[in-house]
Amino acid sequence: MRIEVDRERCDGFGFCAEAAPELIRLDDEGEPEILADAVPAELAGKAEAAARACPVAALRVVAL
Amino acid sequence: VTVVVVGGSLAGVTAADAVRRGGYDGPVTVIGAEPAYARPPLSKGVLTGSESLESVRLPALPSDVTVRAGVAAGLDLTTSRVTLADGEQLPYETLVIATGSRARTIADPGRENVLRTLDDATALRVKVDSARSVLVVGGGFLGMEVASSARALAKSVTVVDIRTPLLTTMGPFLAELFTEAARDHGVHVVIAPGGVRPVFDGDRVAGVDTAEAGRLEADVVVTAVGDEPAVDWLGPSGLPLRGGVVVDEHCRAAENVYAIGDVAVFPTPWGLRRMPHWDTAIGQARAAADALLRGASATPYRPEPYFWTEAFGLAAKLAGHLPVAGRPTVLRGSLADRSVLLHWPDSQRPAAASINVKFPVPKLRKLATAVPA
Repeated sequence: MRIEVDRERCDGFGFCAEAAPELIRLDDEGEPEILADAVPAELAGKAEAAARACPVAALRVVAL
Repeated sequence: VTVVVVGGSLAGVTAADAVRRGGYDGPVTVIGAEPAYARPPLSKGVLTGSESLESVRLPALPSDVTVRAGVAAGLDLTTSRVTLADGEQLPYETLVIATGSRARTIADPGRENVLRTLDDATALRVKVDSARSVLVVGGGFLGMEVASSARALAKSVTVVDIRTPLLTTMGPFLAELFTEAARDHGVHVVIAPGGVRPVFDGDRVAGVDTAEAGRLEADVVVTAVGDEPAVDWLGPSGLPLRGGVVVDEHCRAAENVYAIGDVAVFPTPWGLRRMPHWDTAIGQARAAADALLRGASATPYRPEPYFWTEAFGLAAKLAGHLPVAGRPTVLRGSLADRSVLLHWPDSQRPAAASINVKFPVPKLRKLATAVPA
């Protein structure tokens, strides 16, 4: 699976990077940067948690 | 041997997920009155119609968490059972209370428009759409966002409050900034220190009377005067209730009972506080899950308040304990352009706000961290 960010929706609230720091980091402007093209199986739950923590539903976890 | 989470919104689903991912392998059940969705867009994109209803839904919980539709009606601490509205009894080993809050009203419930649930938002959307004028009673975050959305739909908008909008939530400096922006956007802001009295058309609130500005009426009246915790089902349970469920720093309300999110009254450095915000719901859910899993060695919840609002062309993120006192330092941008990074470098109660500037939230939070003397 992989994490998709809808850049139009994203307002840089930062909850995704707090929920899954192994997968998402905030850049200098506070925008999420996805660190891995494919989410390792053991981090799948964290990816889902990051998507759930987004107040504007800008993240989706999708099958590769 | 079951974890039962009552309340299926952000706090509840975050707790259930954190318990599961933290290694708990027994049954986890979430009882939710409605499907989980994000509330922040309700007063913004959902109200203006730019957001689809699907887009605000929160991703589903893992399949090894049971999610059930239902409403809790009672709690028996001695037998460790939750009673649902349909009479069913659910035994628990550990209970997480995340029933949130509901909209406060100025008349008997059911007689006025409020904005709390997705159903509220969709109903209000239809009404506002066909209205010419909108009166918003209450100038907090929600009231100002509703007013902004109604203006975006080209409605004639009035906001009435007993003091300057956002004063108690944000402090005088930011309250003035937002109120000025509201006026610039054509909103009629009425300050009525004497308060408001509902005016009825049939059994519906059709306006309010004020001592200062007389009668205010509009095609649609929206009440946004805060929320109150949903604790009626806990009345006779014996849990400590004081404007919510009183918890300790691990969000524990009683043995094997936790309360999190909008319903919880938490011991902050500023006293016992309900903190009905997105950030708090997530933080308290994780702290409760940690306490449930690790007992005494768990990490307590330490509130680092972080909120945001978007109204009248101002998208603001704020970190620190609000309301903020005094004038801030401009770290970047300018107030005249309404694009600015602000810092209140008080050593005891620092705060920071980014308004229409891109700035990483962790850095904003850091600016708002008190430096021990």
